[in-house]
Amino acid sequence: MSTPAISIQNLTKIYPIPFKREKVTAVQDLSLTVEPGQVYGLLGPNGSGKSTTMKIVLGLVSPTSGRTEIFGRDSTTVESREDVGFLPENPYFYKYLTGQETLRFYGKLCGLSSAKIRDRSKELLKLVGLENAADRRLAGYSKGMLQRIGLAQAMIQEPRLLVLDEPTAGVDPAGSREIRDLILDFKKRGITVLLCSHLLEQVQEICDRVGILNHGALIREGTLDELISIQDQTELILENATPELLADIHALLGKSSARLIEERKPQKTLERYFLDVTGTPQP
Amino acid sequence: MTATPTATQHKAFSLARISAIASNTLLELIRLKVFYFMLLFALLIIGSSFFTSKFTFQEQFQVLKDVSLGAMSIFTWLLAVLATAMLLPKDIEDRTLYTILAKPVPRFEYLLGKFIGVLLLLFIAISLMSAVFVVVLYTREQDAIANAARYVPDNAYSDQVKSIHAACFNSNLVPGIAIIYLKSALCAALTLLLSTFASSWIFTIITSVVVYLIGHIQPIARQAYLDSATTSHLTKVFLAVVALIIPDLTSLSLVDDIVVGNAIPMLIFVKTAGLGVTYICVYFFVGYLVFSGKEL
Repeated sequence: MSTPAISIQNLTKIYPIPFKREKVTAVQDLSLTVEPGQVYGLLGPNGSGKSTTMKIVLGLVSPTSGRTEIFGRDSTTVESREDVGFLPENPYFYKYLTGQETLRFYGKLCGLSSAKIRDRSKELLKLVGLENAADRRLAGYSKGMLQRIGLAQAMIQEPRLLVLDEPTAGVDPAGSREIRDLILDFKKRGITVLLCSHLLEQVQEICDRVGILNHGALIREGTLDELISIQDQTELILENATPELLADIHALLGKSSARLIEERKPQKTLERYFLDVTGTPQP
Repeated sequence: MTATPTATQHKAFSLARISAIASNTLLELIRLKVFYFMLLFALLIIGSSFFTSKFTFQEQFQVLKDVSLGAMSIFTWLLAVLATAMLLPKDIEDRTLYTILAKPVPRFEYLLGKFIGVLLLLFIAISLMSAVFVVVLYTREQDAIANAARYVPDNAYSDQVKSIHAACFNSNLVPGIAIIYLKSALCAALTLLLSTFASSWIFTIITSVVVYLIGHIQPIARQAYLDSATTSHLTKVFLAVVALIIPDLTSLSLVDDIVVGNAIPMLIFVKTAGLGVTYICVYFFVGYLVFSGKEL
């Protein structure tokens, strides 16, 4: 069996409140595993412990108890970060650097050679669609462009794990879709993704597995099929069905014990409709 | 794009990472337009040299050195405090710190890179100020020599020129400026330490200024209290602790000796520099200990 990309065992994080005897439990006895190549969605309302869990995985916060590992390496150690790329929520990079310089800076932090940084920057700027903005200062980047350069910096050292905190926060639907497609592209390349998002529809579209946190505890976990499929119901979507065919189906239904709950025209999502009317190219 | 990525080897210590952070910090600070200080400095010393034109050349050089070295000391201190106080809070607020520390960058290297960036800025600043100072001093020296050529009899001219040279440039200037640099570096290290646990950069700046003032008045206070027969044992212990935590900043200055042209023995210079370097290392190390345990 392969080493999990992320392994969290009995993780608890308690924050003391300054000048008070009270303490806040941000994460309580959390255990979960993210397998290599998976896109894992960590969901939960505000204050549920998502960000704390993520920060512990990244070694930015130390756990009160429990253990977290990244590809078998203790995540409190610096070397575990060799395998990780991180995009925080609403990131602000150094505004005086250009897109190219930003990638060079992060590449140097990862110990890459100048030639490797040059190659990777070119490749990543193309991947995130910022080739034409490579020499522009980040101060002039839109929100969506900042998120994309953020993704590129997270990918600079070819990490095996990407941790993304609200990667589409504040981004317009077209930008949001582009980021979604990039995540799917990373998945195709075998990169594991841990995604925190409030956009449940997007999580549903791209995640293989989902964990739901509430009050610091994991209350549900599983594949999307396991979690949201209604096992005793079946959905048929027919194209070009004639009235006669529908009448036959109704007749068959009448002879069986099955109950028709709803019959309706399928709808596009509002996002797809928006992208259609604004003429945004779709994959 | 390459195939599925594989595990990467980690380098425990990397000068390349430190230099990337240091050069980026320097760029960040330069872009804050901190070099407006230099303009003020140049105006101050050029202006002061005009006001002293009626003095003898010895007095002129003395005032020029006094004003210039004093201004250098204050400007580099201000620069050290203001530049350092905002570094960490800004990176935390903008979350750039997260993206840096989520890379394989030890916190020690991050902090050291930031500190070296400030040291480079201070070095550039003091070099520029020294250059302006030397140019103004040289100009005044040439004026004094020109005056000597006009008013001093021929038989006394060469002696007069020798005295002008002796009063103008002397070898004390270099160690004096080096100590000013070390003092500003010490204030930067102290400010960096404060910013590792302070909740805001305003608090950091205010505390750093207060510590600077304590550092200047504590030798006087210490002497007054220790000489007094009524001082309690507890007060003496407190003063000893303050003296240990905050160095006597008046001892980190050789300006008075330079101004009057006294020679600075090598031993005094080495001891003063050693004191400065020791405090810089201690402040930086304590700052690192606080920062390494900081929850981000």
